[in-house]
Amino acid sequence: MTGNQKINNTATIDGQTVKVREGITILEAARKADIYIPTLCHLENLDSYGGCRLCVVTVKHMKGFPTACTTPLEPGMEVMTRTPELQKLRKEILEFTLSEHPFTCLVCKDKMECADFMHSTRKVSTITGCNFCTSNGDCELQDLVETLELTDIKFPISYRGIPPVKDNPFYDLDYNLCILCGRCVRICSEERNSHVLAFVERGNTTIVGTAFNESQKDAGCEFCGACVDVCPTGSISEKMGKWRGIPDRSVETSCVICPVACKMNINTSGGKIVNVGPAPGKRTNPPQLCLRGKFLPVELNHHPSRITTPLIKRDNKWVEISWKEAIAYTAGNLEKYRGTQFGIIASAQDTIEDNYTLQKFARKVMRSNNVDLHSSYAHKELLKHIHQFYSLHPPAGFLEIEKADTLLIIGSDASTSHPLLENRIRKAYNGGRRVIYAGAFPTRTSTFTTNRVLYTPGEETSFLFVLLSALVKKYGSGIPGTVSSQFKKPALQKAQEFAGISGSELEKALSILVKSRNLMIIAGDDLLRHSSPLDIFHCLVNIHFVKSRNHSCNILFPGYEGSLYGGVLSGVHPDYLPGFYSITDDRNIRKWNKNWQTRLSTTRGLSCNEMVNQIQEDGITSLLVMGDIPPHPDLANLKFLVQCNMFRTDLSEFADILLPVTDFLENEGHVLSLDGKLKKVNRAISGQGKSKSIPRVITSLAAVMQESGFSSKPADIFREIRSFIEIPYSNGKNVKSGFQPIRLKPQKKNAAYPIQVMLRHNHFKYRGNRLTDLVPGLHSITDEGVIGLSPSLMRQLKVKEGDQVRICTETGESLSISRPMPELADHSACLFSNGTDSIKLCGGIFPGTSMISARIEKA
Amino acid sequence: MAGSIPLIIEKYEPRDKGNLIQILQDVQRTEGYIPREAVEKISSHLWISKSEVFGVASFYSQFKFNPPGRHSIKICLGTACHVQGGDFLLNALKSVIDISPNETTEDGRFDLDRVACLGCCALAPVVMIDETIYSNMSVIKLKETLNQYE
Repeated sequence: MTGNQKINNTATIDGQTVKVREGITILEAARKADIYIPTLCHLENLDSYGGCRLCVVTVKHMKGFPTACTTPLEPGMEVMTRTPELQKLRKEILEFTLSEHPFTCLVCKDKMECADFMHSTRKVSTITGCNFCTSNGDCELQDLVETLELTDIKFPISYRGIPPVKDNPFYDLDYNLCILCGRCVRICSEERNSHVLAFVERGNTTIVGTAFNESQKDAGCEFCGACVDVCPTGSISEKMGKWRGIPDRSVETSCVICPVACKMNINTSGGKIVNVGPAPGKRTNPPQLCLRGKFLPVELNHHPSRITTPLIKRDNKWVEISWKEAIAYTAGNLEKYRGTQFGIIASAQDTIEDNYTLQKFARKVMRSNNVDLHSSYAHKELLKHIHQFYSLHPPAGFLEIEKADTLLIIGSDASTSHPLLENRIRKAYNGGRRVIYAGAFPTRTSTFTTNRVLYTPGEETSFLFVLLSALVKKYGSGIPGTVSSQFKKPALQKAQEFAGISGSELEKALSILVKSRNLMIIAGDDLLRHSSPLDIFHCLVNIHFVKSRNHSCNILFPGYEGSLYGGVLSGVHPDYLPGFYSITDDRNIRKWNKNWQTRLSTTRGLSCNEMVNQIQEDGITSLLVMGDIPPHPDLANLKFLVQCNMFRTDLSEFADILLPVTDFLENEGHVLSLDGKLKKVNRAISGQGKSKSIPRVITSLAAVMQESGFSSKPADIFREIRSFIEIPYSNGKNVKSGFQPIRLKPQKKNAAYPIQVMLRHNHFKYRGNRLTDLVPGLHSITDEGVIGLSPSLMRQLKVKEGDQVRICTETGESLSISRPMPELADHSACLFSNGTDSIKLCGGIFPGTSMISARIEKA
Repeated sequence: MAGSIPLIIEKYEPRDKGNLIQILQDVQRTEGYIPREAVEKISSHLWISKSEVFGVASFYSQFKFNPPGRHSIKICLGTACHVQGGDFLLNALKSVIDISPNETTEDGRFDLDRVACLGCCALAPVVMIDETIYSNMSVIKLKETLNQYE
């Protein structure tokens, strides 16, 4: 490049000089310079499409009218965007676009007055006017008609008469309003990689649709709602909140439902949530959302059966009482049950501040260490190990996932558990990265992988052992001899035999792993909820240890349900004080006695399952439950049960008092995302009815019980936590690292219970409340009370799809509906729990492991 | 017949999207139409979604989505036939044997296509059933002609 060109590295748009960057389009440059060019199909973050033709411009010395969104800006270009000729062209293009979209109101000369007086509404039928469109006021066509001053359309009204689709649970489709801009099709394929929507047919019969017009669900829709956000017209609209009007306020907060903790905008109007979606004036929600983040918060917050006043049980009837009475009654009763007979079951889907306050209340006021989270790990030390690992090797950020050259996904169906993590995996796959999926059976995630290794269910350790030995063989020099001797041939053969893996798929996967320079391991909870999770964890750490000696290696542990890690870090754990300080260490007890000005109990606490299983006269006699837990029959023997929830559930049968609490849209605080970032939760609307936040409830309880040191302000609580512990990780100074020995043992086989049943976690939960009970539409999306059986098992049991089968384990039995799952390995099954069968099958309210041995028979 | 679909698909490289139209043509040739099952199989073989496979297939009029009838009716709607009342014939078929273009009757007797020109405009309107061309058609003549086919 000569010096002269360098100086002239500029172009002009409407006479304004703009800088030319490599690859920038005319449209992008114009937007940057604040020059408005109308568009309908263009969307930031997506590839240019050039479909709507509204962004036509003229460029000096260039023939015709190039579209600004697809033409790269070059040095020396002289672009005009608003000549009368262009405006005329645009008007005509818009007329064509509108000829198949109801336009009567758009060009009505009375439209300004009509907004106030509606005097012309009746002259226009529903299907041709704006007044009955859900997007009225938030429509890009309306805006464009204004901008281009379109007052007349020469074409006759052509209504296509396509029946609206209303059969899917969260959004409605009316293709009569569709202008075929292709945004929904593109976001579905390019951004979400779901590929559900496509243009079908051709010419004037083209619509956006699915194969053979099948339902969205059958076409594989994940109901992420991205298409709803981007639609410039009203053809795709949310079922909930679509008639609540145009948002007058938008608050950015973080989702607490899964540990990805996505950024979300809550749009409200008059104190009611309109939707969770892009901020007003925008069409995309850059971080994207999933079904749980996009649709469920709205459904839950304004749910008709939400309780908003404290309720007390009198003569077996629920009676509304005031907060003052409720607090006095609760505090009075709790006073009687101080000590180890009391326990709190908290939720990982609450903020760090909420959980810190709850455990502080249990430990300081109630003098009990019985605090645990819903669905915490059965292995109590596992999270401490993860904490120590993260302290040494902080988790990589989400963006690193796409940068890694190889991804290894083990034991995770991220498409249902962490959809936005999955989104990154799919992008990495599309970006040509090596993605290896390892699991007991293929899932949706495994369709976005380059390699797939399927091992025998329950043999995760053996599988990891095989991986590890391949790495040790390659990079093992310098590792002590005792370590490498573990990976002799017989051991390796044994492991391969246990894991049931061999052949070219394995060889390919191993060679990719060995060759990778930047490896990212995503170890899901199906892996960590194994019967011997520490072995698994050590294998992973070893793989990290060996790999990171030469190359970059990262491990992510995406847990279930909110931030388990954040919850335990804030102290909700029977064995650990906040910051993973063990209560068995006297120094820690002294430190926290000083911190909280109290005398802590040194008796080790009980986990959720232990608490419920030890309900008896000299065991647990009273509980405080945040949200909901499965209704174990023993709960009837409790002397006092407080339920803090938004809904009355099956558990409420046993509760003495129900305290209405706010949900995360009405709360403030922080959550910890799975990539180790503190995310801020902001209050989007005020609490419904008389609901109170957890810190406010606890503070008033503590005050009545004559205890001090509690604050109801999240900011104060956060400051307090920060002053005592390092968040999110310690500096890792005192953490040992290195190669951990591994014991390789086959899983125990029990002849009486020969079938390995994998337990699928129900991800549709908020604070333990089963969302399928609350949001009926979810029934068509998720399975409950269903057992998937391998084809060989179906034949052996002589059952057909839909037959009832009995599942028997050592602790009990339950019934389930059978369904064939051809992807399962022989003699294995997959149980989609109905929420209560874990009580019978696993002997606890939460299953400790992700797999159980069972006998299955035809019922 | 349905057993031949996997055989056709297996001939092509998995995950190679470029073969989509070839596969569709092969299926259309052997089966006479693109069954739902084929769309599913192609989708899982090439790793592209069912919607996308259908989107491509429905773009081209050469692909049909209904099994062919025992006899195929082609109604010409080229300029001459159109002017001479080809539309009436189309409507008559709708009322007589309840069939619209690109469909097959429920009893599998006929399928119906509309074509642009059969090359005998002087004899308009023209209908072609199987290989026979019927000229100067009228609704009554069409009804009588249909009776000759079982």
